[in-house]
Amino acid sequence: MSTESPSQQPATSPQIGVDEWVQRSGERIAGPGGLLRLADRTPPVLLLAAFIGIACAVPLLTSNGYVIGVDADTLLYVLLAIGLNVAVGWAGILDLGYVVFYGFAAYLFAELSSAHYDIHWATWQTVPLVVAATVLLGFVLALPSRRLNGDYLAIVMLFFLQMFNNFTTNGYAWNWLGLSGSHDVTGGPTGVTNIDPFRIFGHVMGPGPRDYVFVTAAGIFVVAILFHYVNRSRTGRAWRALREDPLAAEMMGIPVKWLSLLAVAVGAGVAGFAGSVNGAYYQGVFPDTFMFPLLITVYAMVILGGAGSLGGVVFGAVVVNVLLEILRTPDHARWVFYAAMILGLLAKLRPWRLLGALVAGVAVFGVVAHEIVGAVWARGVGGPIATGPTSFTTHGFWATLIRHWMVLPKNTYTAEDYRIGNYAFVIVIVLVLACTALKGWKRWALLVPTIWGACFVWETVLIEQNPVVRPLFLGVILIVLMATRPAGLFGKTRVEIV
Amino acid sequence: MSTVLAFQLQTWNFFFRELVSGLAVGSLYALIALGYTMVYGVLKLLNFAHGDVYMVGAYIGFFVLNALGSPLSPVMPIVPLILLAFAASMVGCGLLGVVVERFAYRPLRNAPRIAPLISAIGVSFFLQQTAVLLWSPNPRSYDTFSLHPGSSGIGELFHTAFTIGNFSIQYVQLVVILSTIALMIGLSLFVWKTRTGKAMRAVSFDAEASSMMGIDVDRVITVTFLIGSALAGAAGVMTGLIYQQLNPYMGFGAGLKAFTAAVVGGIGNIGGAVLGGLLIGLTETFTVGYLSSQFSDLILYSILVVFMLFRSTGIRGAPVLQKV
Amino acid sequence: MSGNGAQKQPLLDLRGLSLSFGGLTVIDGLDLHVDEHEIVSVIGPNGAGKTTLFNLITGAYRPDEGDILLDGESLVGLPSHKINQRGVARTFQTLRLFLNMTVKENVMAAQYGHTRSSIVEQMLQLPRARREEREINAFAEEKLGFFGERLMGYRWNQPAYSLSYANRRRLEIARATASRPRILLLDEPAAGMNPVETHEITELIGKLREEGGFTILLIEHDMHVVEGISDRVIALDHGVKIAEGSFDQVATNPRVVEAYLGTSAAVTK
Ligand SMILES: Nc1ncnc2c1ncn2[C@@H]1O[C@H](COP(=O)(O)OP(=O)(O)OP(=O)(O)O)[C@@H](O)[C@H]1O
Ligand SMILES: [Mg+2]
Repeated sequence: MSTESPSQQPATSPQIGVDEWVQRSGERIAGPGGLLRLADRTPPVLLLAAFIGIACAVPLLTSNGYVIGVDADTLLYVLLAIGLNVAVGWAGILDLGYVVFYGFAAYLFAELSSAHYDIHWATWQTVPLVVAATVLLGFVLALPSRRLNGDYLAIVMLFFLQMFNNFTTNGYAWNWLGLSGSHDVTGGPTGVTNIDPFRIFGHVMGPGPRDYVFVTAAGIFVVAILFHYVNRSRTGRAWRALREDPLAAEMMGIPVKWLSLLAVAVGAGVAGFAGSVNGAYYQGVFPDTFMFPLLITVYAMVILGGAGSLGGVVFGAVVVNVLLEILRTPDHARWVFYAAMILGLLAKLRPWRLLGALVAGVAVFGVVAHEIVGAVWARGVGGPIATGPTSFTTHGFWATLIRHWMVLPKNTYTAEDYRIGNYAFVIVIVLVLACTALKGWKRWALLVPTIWGACFVWETVLIEQNPVVRPLFLGVILIVLMATRPAGLFGKTRVEIV
Repeated sequence: MSTVLAFQLQTWNFFFRELVSGLAVGSLYALIALGYTMVYGVLKLLNFAHGDVYMVGAYIGFFVLNALGSPLSPVMPIVPLILLAFAASMVGCGLLGVVVERFAYRPLRNAPRIAPLISAIGVSFFLQQTAVLLWSPNPRSYDTFSLHPGSSGIGELFHTAFTIGNFSIQYVQLVVILSTIALMIGLSLFVWKTRTGKAMRAVSFDAEASSMMGIDVDRVITVTFLIGSALAGAAGVMTGLIYQQLNPYMGFGAGLKAFTAAVVGGIGNIGGAVLGGLLIGLTETFTVGYLSSQFSDLILYSILVVFMLFRSTGIRGAPVLQKV
Repeated sequence: MSGNGAQKQPLLDLRGLSLSFGGLTVIDGLDLHVDEHEIVSVIGPNGAGKTTLFNLITGAYRPDEGDILLDGESLVGLPSHKINQRGVARTFQTLRLFLNMTVKENVMAAQYGHTRSSIVEQMLQLPRARREEREINAFAEEKLGFFGERLMGYRWNQPAYSLSYANRRRLEIARATASRPRILLLDEPAAGMNPVETHEITELIGKLREEGGFTILLIEHDMHVVEGISDRVIALDHGVKIAEGSFDQVATNPRVVEAYLGTSAAVTK
């Protein structure tokens, strides 16, 4: 901020209503949108209870193991997102080491309840111990916040993640850096397996996700309530103050350094519990799990939902994980893709006539492109539609539609066709960027080939490549959100410079 | 007696070899660090995607060399070929950097401080995964042309060394170190002698005031990204030449180390970034050579944490006091 | 130390304070004291080192030399939040509110140092946490009430950024008083205010002393404010105290006039 003294400005008499105007304009800026208003009006406990109820109903209503598994995974992510939200959303610390806490807890739990060291402690002993140890680790890894802040702190936290990854991957031959004999700590790339499941009151949980749905849901219920209260108390307020302005907070009697440590450590505690569940539920921990992509996933959840809003991050975690799951199967992924595109257009396109024109344009464009390509390059059309085993898009109306509208090269797996897809991918990205840069009718005109091109790339390349598409999707979420709605879906829009 | 001497000679040889390769790696980090430090200077943004731009640069170089210098039918002799690879990579990365800035960061000029950083992380991840999609996650290798048998082959240049007494330096290392020095001198001249360079320094000192003084801040930022990314592209090609291996994930670790180099050298300070890069390159090489190759990351990053903690204002940067 | 000496011990006592940034000496061997219940104004041209003085007292910077005593105890080296908890609170010339928190929360946050409940007590909403929460809520309303209509009820739950400039200045003062200081450091409280508001703030500062019982150290460029309320005025230039005394004494001191207007040759300014 400038240190210019404002007192130099000549004092002007107030315009009538200036004060009021400022107040109104504030409301205009931060006025809650539709979703937010609905969420605001419902008591938080009700929302939480509804969420837990639905999550717990899934294993009762279906016996489909896959669905229950997704349910359990999603809940685990919800827990992780709630934990990360403490540092990122409330205290405003970019805790890029968060995954370390999760991984550390999973490994610690694994080593205290498996044949690795032949230790098989009871669940009521391991879980509290793991959580306590992870909180402690949180305090330790957050110590750099005493000297660093902002980007520098974030990067140092990322160093810890790199160190942790290096250690877990190579930890099968740990030798205290040459000072002792070699010793298997982490199991190396194959991790630790055959981990004991949770045993609570003599009841063995699992195998399978069903019981862990209930365990995790209970965890979320407790943690969400506890955190809700903290957020409304002196600690939560102090966190927000330090997010707003650490220096002013410090001068108002708030021990900023301590509170930073506390925020990271409290979040770590949640990750500690989630890590224990991870170990017991999957019955194995592997170094590849706890790497940068997981960090991005949890961040995307927190940021999509709205960092700082408990309900928001829960929502974000559910949406992101369910979408990521859906993207696994081409058939379902196709629906997500087209639905997302249409929703996006609906949200952005105001006059309905324009939308109609656009859809018509894209349809015509596709048919024409199909004909031209068919005439020039016979092998370029009439290829198979990418599907899963239960497809209904291979036959019938939709299939015919796609066949006549889309260019689907035969022999999709030749190197040449891949290259075409790759070029198309790059071209579509360029078109999308151009669309964001252009204004007026040029944008609408360009949207036609862009949309069709995106569908082409989707149908020929992306739909089959879910291991890449899923992370790509996360990256896109982050970029698009920051450009359109940095506060996330449920977060309050923050004003930094007025 | 003579065995002791031989042993000592061997250890000295080893040390010297490590030293040279540390300097070469350090030069790479230095080049990447320049991009971080320049961008941080003008935008106060940790351009997380910078490491991935460097990765793309390595791939561009790979494709140029592969297309024009394929082992069986090289289109041109080795020196222009390599220059062409550098040029293509620098131009490509420069443009990529500008596009990233224009579309991912520029819309966020007035957003909360954390937004561009998150966006940068998103871009980084996006570039990385795009590389996986386009070029497959499997490592590629510059190595193929080194097999070229002819006297103009790349192998000639890369696998021969030039020796002084008992010590030897690979030509490629020499090439890397010298071209880093050349690029650095060029950059310094640009920053200190040209109008745009002057504008850049002004913007990094105070963007708001500069814009009031009639400096086109957006243009300066664009130029900054162009140059920084081009240098990263050059570093990418050099990495290919030295290590031969490249993969879509290579930008991540290199980016972290290079950013640390920029911080250690004093953020915003060009000479400092080079010093920091060399320091970290040497630290890394000696860690791998003398301590542990398996846990080199563990050790190296511990050292980097210490660097960050105690030198967060840099070797050459002045201590920054927060103005209240 | 205790106040048994012949002279009453000052509440705030700066002794031989010096600070330089690189080669630039910003505060140079400054002695300054503020007695309990006194209003002392610091004046001086731009860049004289007034704000830096506040930064030194509140621990943002550490003096190169000299000592800062509050009630006889040194504050040098303490972290800022400890200094605040000892009884020093300030406002900022550039306004550093917690913009995205509500008006009331801004004031409540400042009471952190005077509450004790642990995070576990807050999680479980144990009695102490609940009681403290009620107390600081009431206290915050009381502090905001000090400003009468200006920061009245309907504004309490608005975000601080929605306030007008003058109200932000008031809120900063309210926030500072809520940290229960003994001495308030006000950095240009009337900056950017119109004459009516300036008059109001002048009265308010008097009221802060009379009713709030605060000792006040004030930086102000507006001479009407300074004249109206100061017990004692201190003029700084280039970090050196060039005059001290009543407003009239200081205002007519030739060195002060020179510092403000430059040498007679530069009077044209
Ligand atoms: N962190 C810092 N680093 C370097 N110089 C500083 C710093 N803080 C203040 N200064 C310098 O110290 C001098 C005094 O600044 P200070 O802000 O105390 O002035 P001031 O008396 O409050 O002026 P004003 O009336 O404009 O508020 C100025 O020259 C300023 O540039
Ligand atoms: Mg000042």
